[in-house]
Amino acid sequence: MTTEPADPPVDVATEPPASDHTDVPLAVDTVTDVAPELGSPEVLSSAAHGFPWVRAAAWVVVFAVLIILPFTMAEFRVEQMCGWIALAIAACGLNILTGYNGQISVGHGALYGVGAYTTALIVTNWQWPLLLATVASAVVCFVTGLLIGLPALRIKGLYLALVTLAVATLFPLAIDQFASFTGGSSGLSLTSPEMYRGAIRDRPVRFDPPGGLASDQWKYFIFLAIAALCFLLSRNLIRSRVGRTLVAIRDNDTASEVSGIPVSRVKIIAFGVSAGLAGIGGSIFALNSGRVNPSSFTIAVSIYFLIAVVVGGAASIVGPAIGAVFYGVFIDIITPELPESLKPATPVILGVILILLMLVAPGGIVGLWKVSMHKLAVRRARSSAPVT
Amino acid sequence: MNTTVKRLSVVLIALTLVAAACGGRDDDSSSSDDGGSDSGGESASGAFINPDQDCTDYKGTQGITGDTIKVGTIRPASGPYAIYDQVTAGLDAYFKSVNTAGGVKAGDGKTYKIELVKGDDGYDPARTPAVAKQLVEQDQVFALVGNIGTEPSLAIRDYMNDNCVPNVSLGTGSPLWGDANAYPWYISALPSYALEAKVWVDYIEKTNPDAKIAILYQSDDFGESYQKAITKAIEGTDITMVAEQSFNPLGGTTTEAAVTQLSQSGADVFIVGIGGTPCPNTLKFMPESWKPMTFISITCAGKTALSLAGGKDQGVYAAQTTYDPSDPADQSNPKVVEFVQQASAAGLDQNQIQGGISSAGWGFGANFATALGQTETVDRAGLMNALFSLDVPAFGLLRDDVTIKTDGAEDPWGIESLRVVQREGQGWVEKEKMVDYNGQSNSFKGE
Repeated sequence: MTTEPADPPVDVATEPPASDHTDVPLAVDTVTDVAPELGSPEVLSSAAHGFPWVRAAAWVVVFAVLIILPFTMAEFRVEQMCGWIALAIAACGLNILTGYNGQISVGHGALYGVGAYTTALIVTNWQWPLLLATVASAVVCFVTGLLIGLPALRIKGLYLALVTLAVATLFPLAIDQFASFTGGSSGLSLTSPEMYRGAIRDRPVRFDPPGGLASDQWKYFIFLAIAALCFLLSRNLIRSRVGRTLVAIRDNDTASEVSGIPVSRVKIIAFGVSAGLAGIGGSIFALNSGRVNPSSFTIAVSIYFLIAVVVGGAASIVGPAIGAVFYGVFIDIITPELPESLKPATPVILGVILILLMLVAPGGIVGLWKVSMHKLAVRRARSSAPVT
Repeated sequence: MNTTVKRLSVVLIALTLVAAACGGRDDDSSSSDDGGSDSGGESASGAFINPDQDCTDYKGTQGITGDTIKVGTIRPASGPYAIYDQVTAGLDAYFKSVNTAGGVKAGDGKTYKIELVKGDDGYDPARTPAVAKQLVEQDQVFALVGNIGTEPSLAIRDYMNDNCVPNVSLGTGSPLWGDANAYPWYISALPSYALEAKVWVDYIEKTNPDAKIAILYQSDDFGESYQKAITKAIEGTDITMVAEQSFNPLGGTTTEAAVTQLSQSGADVFIVGIGGTPCPNTLKFMPESWKPMTFISITCAGKTALSLAGGKDQGVYAAQTTYDPSDPADQSNPKVVEFVQQASAAGLDQNQIQGGISSAGWGFGANFATALGQTETVDRAGLMNALFSLDVPAFGLLRDDVTIKTDGAEDPWGIESLRVVQREGQGWVEKEKMVDYNGQSNSFKGE
């Protein structure tokens, strides 16, 4: 479990020469993140100054931006950001499974789809309250995740990736197959009967905003709150006993088994929780776009989740959110502005950016942040340390 | 650590309150929202659309600045359906042509230039909404004109309708667009696919009353509307449907396996409810031993598409409503001569002019301009009301014996005259005279 022990702060302060730890990229892939209390950067800075000002300031800025943004953007931009929120939640789910538990899934696009279709069907056919449909989607996906997780007990690594790949590939086909209630490749609209032009007709569902807010702003805040809740719960889960067993299994499942961890149970539950989050993401996707369509849930979507996780920083809680924003900005804001001749090369451009990013920051954006914070702390500690 | 969380949350709550207090949206021009929605009912007596009643946030003149009307269009510029980019080229050429000639004279007596903004969705309905929203909200277009694709158009129908933005001259003839009471901001510039199917079946019944049909159709609303309408049209006849295969246009495969299978069915009629390049490819995949009467979609019946069929287009049947600029028989027709001259002046090359796809886009533009000329008030509702009460002679490249009549939800289809033709050489031979089905298109829609 402790392959790369965290250095006690004392070390840094008393050891001036640039030894290995300045160079060691604090790969987020270590225990450090599971128990940040022990990790060097935070402890260093807070030990020195009592309160992690940089971190706190960063959070305040991030939240301020998140709250102010929808008031300055056009409606379709706000809806795009709602899409990023959906992506972030699903990526957070994938991260619990892949980042913390070491199980690779390329099938989360399908679970995202299950969540979206569950919400669409419930809302349109039974007129449930919208957020109740989100809860139902989470439950349905949790159960689906448990089922998909069953093979994960026997296989891992590449083989598990292949099984989940099959799930991702099959999902759009299954939607086509059961076209009578899924709408097939025409998709489904989220509607409710309403009076319109002299008759009761199916009209698109919407969130009724309280005074002063536009409908898109209101739904953005609702989705943001759901996302905050999901991330908070994930953080608590990861920092709990269960979280530690997840990481222990990832790092060495035989040793975990020997230490008395119920490996199979934990693995299955990791799959379920992860799928449940993907379902919430999918549900938000459906509520946001008002329409679900099998081509929104192809294998490519599963890859986007992986991109979000890896770019943001696997095995860090906020990483997937950062990765989702990175991906969203690239696809929704940068791509449409590219000159017409470059547009077909969009995947290549994304690929090159990913390669460069992985070269510079193998731990993702969060990893990069941690490394630089660490260096900063070391420099500070060094300059304040008495010369011996 | 707990105090940190507390301090943070206090700051955040304060921020939220401040933000909520500011309220609204900075850039919102909040145009004509003040009109009471209950006051309506009397204005524009008898008009099909009354924005006071039907819209919550009506921006009737968005996209009209001075003497320019900005419109948008969405088409696939990439992927297997990218040949429809030529529709947009034709639409663009039409607007360039009228702009050069001074502009379109609208119902208010003013003359407007038309500016076209293009969006690309790759024929993927999952991508269309973002493109449409960007055109409407960022580019601030007046309307969408000449959009391609049934599924893409369906994917944005709620959005367009809810925001009272016209989506007109649709480059799709899905029977879905016949529900004008529920979706009054949509109107097509093609004949209904259901009417097309009806015309085929009538011809089949006349020439081969015991026909056995094999159908290949796109597994979406476009393809299924043919399949359903044919199923309905053969009810009560001795014609039977002996084999069906569907094809997923986004699946990344070809129709080869499906065609091979259908060729074994013993059918003597083959219906190809497929668009884009997969349509001519389907003809190419037909084995030499299978010689059914083959019918192709109106969206495929032009030189550009059929030249890809490797000679297998000879003898195929189609329903036709326009002149074909590549058909030797139509070369001297004044409409074709005029089109060739104006289109080349507007920058279309010889292939586009002859291809039969750009000329369709040219017609979509003409449809929009014609309606604009009939408007009582030049705004979004005015445009729709004009489109839903058209009674004009054939415009664009429509054949002279076509008449354009619409009447609200009773008759939401403009083009309802079709003749049956058979491919011979570079042109078409008339097999059945033009029949006008005015007001009947909706009744042919299958279930």
